[in-house]
Amino acid sequence: MNIAQLSLIQKLNGLMLLACLVLAGASCAAQKVERVEFWTLSMKPKFTPYFQDVVRRFRVLHPDIEVEWVDFPWDILQLKLITAIASGTPPALVNLNVPWAEEYARDGLIVPVEGMIQNRAMYTKVALDDLTFNNHLYGFPHYSNVNVIAYNTSIFKAAGLTEAPRSMDEELAFARQIYARTGKAGYAPTLGKIDSFFMQQGLPIVKNGRAVFNSPEHVALVKKLADTYQAGGFLKDRLFSEDGFPAVIDAYKGGRLGMMVSAPTALRRIQIDAKEIYAVTKVAAAPLGPTQIADGGWMFLYAVPKGVDPRLYPALASFAQFLTNDANQLAFSKIAGVMPTATQALADPYFMLTPVNGGAVEMAQPIAAASMKYSHSVYVAGLEDYDEMRRVLVKAVEAGMTGKADIKTALDEAAATWNKKLQVPK
Amino acid sequence: MKRVQPWLFLLPALLLLALFSLWPVGFGSFLAFTDFSLVRPTHWVGLDNFRYIFANDMFLTGIKNSLLFLLIVPFIQVGAITLAVLVNNQLHGIRFFRAAYYVPVVTTVSVVGIMWGFLFHEQGTLNYLLLKIHAVNSPVGWLSDDAIAIFAIMFVTAWRGLGWYMVMYLAGLQSIPSEMQEAARLDGASRTQVFWKITVPMLYPTIMVCTIMSVLAALKAYQEVDVLTQGGPMNSTFTALYYAYDQGLKHLKLPRGLAASLVVSLFCIAIALLCLRFLKPKHR
Repeated sequence: MNIAQLSLIQKLNGLMLLACLVLAGASCAAQKVERVEFWTLSMKPKFTPYFQDVVRRFRVLHPDIEVEWVDFPWDILQLKLITAIASGTPPALVNLNVPWAEEYARDGLIVPVEGMIQNRAMYTKVALDDLTFNNHLYGFPHYSNVNVIAYNTSIFKAAGLTEAPRSMDEELAFARQIYARTGKAGYAPTLGKIDSFFMQQGLPIVKNGRAVFNSPEHVALVKKLADTYQAGGFLKDRLFSEDGFPAVIDAYKGGRLGMMVSAPTALRRIQIDAKEIYAVTKVAAAPLGPTQIADGGWMFLYAVPKGVDPRLYPALASFAQFLTNDANQLAFSKIAGVMPTATQALADPYFMLTPVNGGAVEMAQPIAAASMKYSHSVYVAGLEDYDEMRRVLVKAVEAGMTGKADIKTALDEAAATWNKKLQVPK
Repeated sequence: MKRVQPWLFLLPALLLLALFSLWPVGFGSFLAFTDFSLVRPTHWVGLDNFRYIFANDMFLTGIKNSLLFLLIVPFIQVGAITLAVLVNNQLHGIRFFRAAYYVPVVTTVSVVGIMWGFLFHEQGTLNYLLLKIHAVNSPVGWLSDDAIAIFAIMFVTAWRGLGWYMVMYLAGLQSIPSEMQEAARLDGASRTQVFWKITVPMLYPTIMVCTIMSVLAALKAYQEVDVLTQGGPMNSTFTALYYAYDQGLKHLKLPRGLAASLVVSLFCIAIALLCLRFLKPKHR
């Protein structure tokens, strides 16, 4: 072999090496791993094993999609999300509730997902309806909730009551009777969200761009509430607070409250923290009211923020649908005590049958599941500065109920404040 | 070089101060005059945010309540001096009391909220005791009556702060040379005279510092509001700083929150200057 031949062989070797490198590069590009970051709301540490398991199982099915889970407490998630969107580094999926999603959709901060969902029939109709704003679907439904009435049978017995109330009027009457006979509060409605309370009772808040919560019907409803308040029927701690539930559950656990209207999740806390109270707790469906809307509907979903690279849509849609599929929703509902929004999960025997010797938690599941078809997230949509406006309304209702002001006058004044704001061009 | 050297030593600290204090204050003050939002273009809006907050009942209630909080300053100072004098005695087990009075200072505000929530609620311990001794006919709405709630919060704030100032005064008391008190006693001064003529004047610098600190702390009170009432009932327990926090961080109306913070800061500076002017020792 002469020198010229050797040189040719070396050149050929070099070319082959180059070709191998190119092919290897192409192969790497073909197996490029996509990264889906998803944010949840206050799931750590309780649900860490669940989410880690979901991610692990998804990775087995989709080794080409890397999934990163980030959890934030609910009070800072919005700030983090807006900062991330503004800085161009949003997560692929973010866990939101319906009112937040509506606001973000209005501001163009999340994108419609109808092109990403392959099987809409997997989710319940009410869930998809709640997530449809301006004829566009804005998220993958995850879990929701619906209220049930948990009642302390010892207090009921002492008050001469045998059954749970079947209407709001009965709730108020029972609350008064409980206080009159036992000296304990009977009921703690969520008056910090009086707007939802009005709407559930079929009374609108805004009509044709004007505040209408000072109508005779609204005044009559507040009068009913005021009568019960004055009669001592309501738990007064944080009654008008935006987040009064901690006070309600504490009172129920302490045997100071006759009825607790809440999601079934709360019963698990009673079961763990107050075994004696849990042992005398029974559960019934919360009254639907004239609107046939079940109280306490509050759905959570996974939305896709603005700024996510559209090339990532297939991967994130794949993960979002896996995360919210029947099996995973059912598993999550069982450990979290929430209600699924996936049709088959909701029809699972877990939600249909009450186990023999089941406690309040087990009793609550089929009752809540039966109410799910009436469950909607009830809120006022489309108003700027809504939290501030709601406070004006809550303050007026509080003034009226506590006797600090005439109900009609207080509501008129609040409506005037609202109308002034509603007239300001956006 | 001699002139530059001290500045070089100070430089790291000054840089950190500029980065984490001066820049946020300066930029925050600028944003208070804009409609800043992370997701929309920012515009200069002049005094609009200030007009908004001064037309808002909650902020006005907040300012009124922040000034009302100043009422606790004399109580805290007198209480802290009294406690400091008591725990300054070399009695058996006195360290336990020193620690016990300091516990509220190191207790996290969320625990304080839960604990005082239990005591204050309508069927809570406090009402139970008051009803038991027939001091009241019906449960008092410590946190649910808009006429009372702010005073309940002020009490909790005072309770939390007392131990801190007690320690400050204790340090002040222990730095007073015992020879002076002994000399006064040898000259026939009574204990009361020693206290008023020796101890209090010697403690004056500490009193001045503690008073200014507690005035500023009172004007900036908001944590107790957050854990006990969240501004209710009927928005009666809003303080100016709680309003700023509520707007800026809870409801993400950052420019309004910053405008409110700026007003609180200006109040604090003005009142601190007044305190310095009136509390400054006339002679040394």
